[in-house]
Amino acid sequence: MLRRLRKYGGGARGVVTLMSSSAPVVIVGGLLYAGLFVKAEAVVQKVEPPPIERRDTFYAVAAPDSRVVWAAGTGGKIVRSEDAGQSWVRQASNTEANLQGIAAWDSDNAMAVGNDGVVIVTADAGHSWTRAEIPPSTNPNKLFRVRIAGEAAWAVGEFGAVLRSTDRGANWSRVLPEEDRAWNDITFVGDAGWLVGEFGALMRTADGGATWESVATPNEVSLMSVAFRDAEHGVAVGLAGTLLVTEDGGASWQQVPAFTREHLYAVMWDEDHWLAVGDKGEMATAQADAQQWQLGRVAEGDVSWRTGVARAGTRYFLAGSNLAVLDNGTLSVAGHKRM
Amino acid sequence: MKNTTFGKVDQAFAFLIRFRALVVAAVALVTLAMGYQASQIEVKTIFSDLLPRDHPYVAVNQRFKQTFGGSNMVSIMIEARDGDIFNPAVLGKVQKLTVDLQQVEGVDTYQIISLASKKIKEVRASTEGVESRPLMWPELPRSAAEFAALKASVLNNPLVYGPYVSADLKATLVTVDFNDGNMDYTRAFNELMALVEEASGDGVEVRIVGEPVLYGWVNHYLHETLMIFFAAVAALVVLLCLITRTWHGTILPLLAGMVSAIWALGAARLMGFHLDPLVVVVAFLITAQAISNSVQLIARFDDEIGHGIASAAAAARASARNLFKPSMLAIVADAGCVLVVALTPIPLLQKISFIGTVWVLTILVSALILTPVMLSWFGARQRFIHPIDINPVLMRILGLCSAIVTTRWRYAVLGAAGVAFVVSGLYAFNLKVGDANPGSPILWPDSRYNRDAAEINRQFQGSDRMFVVVAGNQPGALREPEVLSSMTRFQKYMEAQPEVGGSISLADILPQVKRVLREGNPMYQELGQTSDENGELMYMFVSGSDPGDMDRYADADAKNGAVTLFFRDHQGETIRTAIARVRDYVEQHPIKDAQYLLAGGLVGVLAAVNEVILAGQIEAIALALLVLVVCCTVTYRSTVAGVFFMIPVLLSNTITFSYMAWAGIGMNINTLPVVALGIGLGVDYTFYIVDGIRENLHRSRNVEHAIVNALMGPGKGVLITAMTLITSVVLWHFSSLRLQADMGVLIALWLFISAFSALFIMPAMVYVFRPEFIVGSKRRPIVQADLTMAG
Repeated sequence: MLRRLRKYGGGARGVVTLMSSSAPVVIVGGLLYAGLFVKAEAVVQKVEPPPIERRDTFYAVAAPDSRVVWAAGTGGKIVRSEDAGQSWVRQASNTEANLQGIAAWDSDNAMAVGNDGVVIVTADAGHSWTRAEIPPSTNPNKLFRVRIAGEAAWAVGEFGAVLRSTDRGANWSRVLPEEDRAWNDITFVGDAGWLVGEFGALMRTADGGATWESVATPNEVSLMSVAFRDAEHGVAVGLAGTLLVTEDGGASWQQVPAFTREHLYAVMWDEDHWLAVGDKGEMATAQADAQQWQLGRVAEGDVSWRTGVARAGTRYFLAGSNLAVLDNGTLSVAGHKRM
Repeated sequence: MKNTTFGKVDQAFAFLIRFRALVVAAVALVTLAMGYQASQIEVKTIFSDLLPRDHPYVAVNQRFKQTFGGSNMVSIMIEARDGDIFNPAVLGKVQKLTVDLQQVEGVDTYQIISLASKKIKEVRASTEGVESRPLMWPELPRSAAEFAALKASVLNNPLVYGPYVSADLKATLVTVDFNDGNMDYTRAFNELMALVEEASGDGVEVRIVGEPVLYGWVNHYLHETLMIFFAAVAALVVLLCLITRTWHGTILPLLAGMVSAIWALGAARLMGFHLDPLVVVVAFLITAQAISNSVQLIARFDDEIGHGIASAAAAARASARNLFKPSMLAIVADAGCVLVVALTPIPLLQKISFIGTVWVLTILVSALILTPVMLSWFGARQRFIHPIDINPVLMRILGLCSAIVTTRWRYAVLGAAGVAFVVSGLYAFNLKVGDANPGSPILWPDSRYNRDAAEINRQFQGSDRMFVVVAGNQPGALREPEVLSSMTRFQKYMEAQPEVGGSISLADILPQVKRVLREGNPMYQELGQTSDENGELMYMFVSGSDPGDMDRYADADAKNGAVTLFFRDHQGETIRTAIARVRDYVEQHPIKDAQYLLAGGLVGVLAAVNEVILAGQIEAIALALLVLVVCCTVTYRSTVAGVFFMIPVLLSNTITFSYMAWAGIGMNINTLPVVALGIGLGVDYTFYIVDGIRENLHRSRNVEHAIVNALMGPGKGVLITAMTLITSVVLWHFSSLRLQADMGVLIALWLFISAFSALFIMPAMVYVFRPEFIVGSKRRPIVQADLTMAG
């Protein structure tokens, strides 16, 4: 037993002798090398930005059908939902400009406008957005809103920009001359159309936008948005709670006594009532006569500003300092898990 | 060792013992002088010591911290229990706190920011134009209407709502920065806590976090730390007394530990160093080394007496002579391993390294010389001081070791050790650099500080800050639209990381101003189109305010600005990801007029520390191992020796690292010194056993007998040291500082694995592989001892 072990020990000794000639040199060299030259590299986890980021603000929404919703906002952000606002997917807009307006014919065809005269168009549900050129100008050409009137598209903006496209947004022509006044919104009912802007400016057309005439308004507060429920009855809203009502197709406007001092940025006709949204979470509603307005909030405790509102099915989509869905009085803000 | 060297050592100790009175007097004198110095040493934390030298992030932090807020920021959260903060009771406290903070020691009075400070302001349009005015300074709102107005202003101001007022309006933040010069942190902490106490109550909860507060807590527990230290030492004494049953076995190890400590602390004071309270555990570790050396000498002394040496002096001489080589080797290797830490360019670690090296070297005197000299005074006759005898237990354990080595069980032990090495080696890769958990790893998760930190990070965007400097190429660069829009996109990019709670910069302010200028229309909430327009916007914002109020965002000539990022935690992973993302962004989006400079604030500084430690840990471990290999190779004149002694070290390292990874202890500035010391520590016991085997082989050629004898002799010393130290280290577990409890467990683990490998694994290795430097070979047989020398 002992002898066998000795023999084994002898073999082991041989191995050790072999090791002793090479291994120590290798080890010492290895340690020196590791000590002097090897620097550990940190493994860094990858961060995938969410479709809606905390910093995003949205200026406009478009809901072509009950499932599909588009929203556009700062830094060229376009997001689209195909499940009525449950989940959102970011789309590559190929622009860094703030997008102020968006409009859609259907779930495939849409266009968006924004700062620096940016107009982008898609015909494939937003998989690709392509830039459209607008008539050249030396002015900044900030475009605020884009609206659809039948087959035509209208975009309005700074320096009197009123642009029209008849080929689904590919080519644009200037309808009114440039002037130092911003147009904030435009709307059509058939061939009748209305245009609102800075300093209480208001124009109307009866021939689909070929000729426009100015209409006097009761004050000089900037008007931000206009909507009509038929060719006769319309509402325009503006800064500092300004609210104008017409019953004669926009020929004359009456001011509704201000019920809020906050700005109102958007108004829409919502099947059987009027709906306006504005600063600090305020939302106002009225019956068809637009005389008695109810002031409330989009949701209790909500203080976000809203510049755009659209409805699809039972849900309202609100663009503003965040992107929110209002479903049966319950407000859920998209993409904000905390705060 | 050759007999001639043996002889020289023997003569030297004979000389020392002959003049033992003189030797002891000299040591006592030096100890007295050093004791005076040691009593003068300051125990404190100096923040600048934590910052890596010459690191670019630290340079940026030092250059810009005055304007953009450094790493010593304290956040105080004032939270209303019911309702929101907009009532006189809560806001009154905010105002009082804001004013009182100016009186606190070390506060940078320009960096006190709260709702009630002059620096939080809003821009509003009025009939006279645009004005910028403080939100709530100098007076509180007086009526319900004014409170409502203030609330509305807060809600509309993203610079306030979010960063300084919580989303649910129930809490507000006061932030204050501290200078990191020569200030009294304990006083600052006490004054801060007094203010916090004063503000608490009446339905208001006050919570406070920040590095100065954290280290304030550490200092707060200093008394307790020292108590535990002394309790651990007392436990050591009791255990030594219990096991050795002799006065000399009890007192001399303690004496060795004390003399070493006094000399080391005195030397530290002479070198102009202070003592960081968190380093006390390291001090204990080195004290353990001193005690271990002394116990070995005493065990050998007792053995010699047991073998019938006539005089105590002769026994002491024999003990010192025979243990000289392994003791020297242990001390020099340890000192080398500790010295390697100094290569990490962080002043705190360098100081620890220098103190530690000196401390380890003092063991040469306190144990190697003093113990044998003192032993010579004790009688040769064994007198037991109490009747409890646990020697049979020790002998049974050592018998078990011998039984394993001499039977086939040794293969089982080696196999198990191999498996443990591979498994723990793989698992050890999970070890994290930086803090491994949210909150501070220095304190327990349920400590007040960590609970406060969790609450503040729940309510706000994050209490840990990092600023990235946007350095312009010429004045006015920060007015360039390209630079500002790049900053906005940068912030957006960074905020995609979930741990980044938010960010703030000049590029957030200007759109607010522009919106106000445009009648409050959010469609104009954007940066100016031209540098002139941005210049106007900046002018609007600062108009009517103090010069310097803009400093947090950009300097006066708009050349340098900062993006401040708020982090919810400062885990190593979070910081690494953030830094890598900053680099990615800067690489992919270069701008013409400015560049991004990393990085200041607490998170920026921690990033630097983590990078240095990450880069340095391989260096430190590899070079420490190299020191060990070289020491062993030289001592035994055999390259195999170097490799052989790496085995227990590698094993104890992989297992300890695995434990750290498993327990969530990160490799950071506080744990690195312990880890580096542990490398040297892992091998000491093996030196004694292997030397014992060699020594026995000088007397007889039977390897098996030599191993068994070595286990019964030096093995007993190893067992005594390990048992006493492990038991007393357990006391650290009761520390209020989690770091010390963790380090206590770590040290205990280290000692246990070292002892285990020395008693079980290494003898089996010797038996199986018979390395030439221990058992000799036909070519170089072991020199048989000269019988006169062997005594």
